[in-house]
Amino acid sequence: MGVELDPGFKALSRAMRLAFVVLTIIMVVLVVFFLISGFETVKSDEKALVLRFGKIHGVGEDRILEPRPWPYWVFPEPIEEIIKIPVGKKIDLDIDSFWYFQTKEDTLPESLRSKSRPGPKLNPIRDGYCITRGEKQSQDITGSGSDYSIVHSKWRLTYQIYNPESFFRNVYVEDIKPGQVYFNVITESIAPLLKSLVESSVVTAMVNYTIDEAISSKYTIPEHVKKLLQEKLDKIDSGITAESVQLVRSTWPRQVDSAFQRSIQASNQKKQLITEAETYAEGTLNEAAGPVAKRLMTALEDETVGAEQREEFLWSQLAGAAQQKIAQARAYRTKVVETARANADYLQQLLPEYRKRPEIVIQEIYRGAMEYILNNADEKIIIQPTEGTKGREIRIQLNRDPTIKQKSVKD
Amino acid sequence: MKSIAITIFILLVVVILGLLFFSYQVRETESALLMRFGKPIRQITAPGWYFKWPEPIEDVEKFDSRMRILEADVTETPTKGATPIIVNTYVVWKIAEPLQFFNALGTVMEAESKLRSQISNTQNEVIGRYEFSEFVNSNKSKIKFDQIQAEMLGDLQQAVREDYGIEIKTLGIKRLKVSEDVSEAVFKRMRAERNRKTEGIISEGKAAAITIRGDADSIETQLLAAADARAAAIKGRGDAEAAKYYKMLEADPELAMYLRDLEALKKILAKRSTIVFSADMEPFRLLKEIPHIKLKDPNESK
Repeated sequence: MGVELDPGFKALSRAMRLAFVVLTIIMVVLVVFFLISGFETVKSDEKALVLRFGKIHGVGEDRILEPRPWPYWVFPEPIEEIIKIPVGKKIDLDIDSFWYFQTKEDTLPESLRSKSRPGPKLNPIRDGYCITRGEKQSQDITGSGSDYSIVHSKWRLTYQIYNPESFFRNVYVEDIKPGQVYFNVITESIAPLLKSLVESSVVTAMVNYTIDEAISSKYTIPEHVKKLLQEKLDKIDSGITAESVQLVRSTWPRQVDSAFQRSIQASNQKKQLITEAETYAEGTLNEAAGPVAKRLMTALEDETVGAEQREEFLWSQLAGAAQQKIAQARAYRTKVVETARANADYLQQLLPEYRKRPEIVIQEIYRGAMEYILNNADEKIIIQPTEGTKGREIRIQLNRDPTIKQKSVKD
Repeated sequence: MKSIAITIFILLVVVILGLLFFSYQVRETESALLMRFGKPIRQITAPGWYFKWPEPIEDVEKFDSRMRILEADVTETPTKGATPIIVNTYVVWKIAEPLQFFNALGTVMEAESKLRSQISNTQNEVIGRYEFSEFVNSNKSKIKFDQIQAEMLGDLQQAVREDYGIEIKTLGIKRLKVSEDVSEAVFKRMRAERNRKTEGIISEGKAAAITIRGDADSIETQLLAAADARAAAIKGRGDAEAAKYYKMLEADPELAMYLRDLEALKKILAKRSTIVFSADMEPFRLLKEIPHIKLKDPNESK
């Protein structure tokens, strides 16, 4: 060529070359960054979807990216986009909209509150409550064709996202602004929806129960609400599952508090009456026949095969007054038999001697008996009969000495 | 070499810019309207990647197609029997037909205001067809709460789908209340009912207590009677056993009776007795005189 390049062109050429090198480096760096930005981790409590050109990518189960320790690689935006949905988390949502209006002071502990608050009327806009059905038997006073009560309640929903695809496609979630936590944005975005669904389920369910059921139910009504809620969640294909619905608190309106308190007292009184009666019954039966009383009674009434054996066993376990009766009877039996035997034995032994000398034996026994009797007598009086004084009257002052009486009583 | 690199670079830039101007994406959560010179020419409800002419010829308007919740205002509505109730209805809705939506409403704000008034209308209409007793009733089978909500949903769906391109997914009544005055009457009745119950509870308790006591007394009586019967049987067996020995007494009944009588005397006079005897009786005769005892011939007895 041999063409001498002028110095200016040379400088330009050098600058161009330098610029090219710098540009190349920048491009390589950009490409590298572009590729690296495609790495995304799906954490253990998440599942993810990939949007390719805005459409969920993949078929069937491949559509969902399951959590794993190493990252996934997706084409960076705008080609692909990864959407992570927190499916593993159980989230609580408190619903207090059926509770009466409380000022800040009302929420303080009992001791800090000023006593004797005025009982305001129930304001339908400010105070929350549910309507429950009346009892079947009760009279209808208002003539409105229905009889109902008012009850306050607090609820807690625990929910979980189970279908990331349905959730992402159907449930409105606000766009995430810088500095916001993704999870919080999701829960805050869906809270109004869930709250409304729960409230509607509660209202629908509660009209089927009486106030007593609403106050005491810990299982039936929450389950009913949960069922209704799940139906609603499924109907809108929300991908959300209601893990549990709790009736946290429920109470009667404070306007009718005194009547309900009296009713509770009455219940306690009823329990007490019954307890007292049961104590009495137990005591009576124990005294009568001991701990086996009731079982023995059942056995006595039972006429099936084998009952007799059981009955015999129970008789042997007897205590109390019945046992005493039996014991006395046994003692009598023993005594009667023993006495009879003793008498018989005595006669048998006496007979040979008696047959030999009847007179003397009779007299001897007689004297022995008299001796015994007179020895035991407290007083002995011997009277001398006089000849030929028939019809004579003898008067004896019997001893009324109290010591004698006492002595004999002691014996 | 250099020129190839530069060519690739320029081509890349051109392609990227081209894609930027000549295409657009519709996400899974969106629907879109393709506008030509400000007029909608096509609605896109399926997600994906679409081509268009660059602005200002064609432009794309996007709509969020996910479900939104809308709470209507709390209103007092008369029922068929003229008893007013206070209800609050919510709807879950979404933009189903972006074209209609764009033409009729344009923005979500506008849609919500239209929906509110529509809900209010539907609510009044449907609730006016039902008695209050069909919302809540002591007879469960007369409660038509579900039916009322379903009817409201049906009416509302019909009203908004055609005109506004809005789909109502679901609807529900989330408040059911009565006016302040009515609630006072309800309280009065609740009190009366509770008082009646209170009395019932106490009398139930009393009745139960009486039953329990009565049962116990009855069992006691029966058990003691059973025990008496058993005791009598035992005694009877004793007497029967004793009778066996009486047979042995038959060897000399007179002697046996004599012995038996003596035993009886001993027992009868054992305590607290004062006995009066005649001095003629043995052995008291000795008190009167010395007996005449003859000497017996010792051979005689042999």
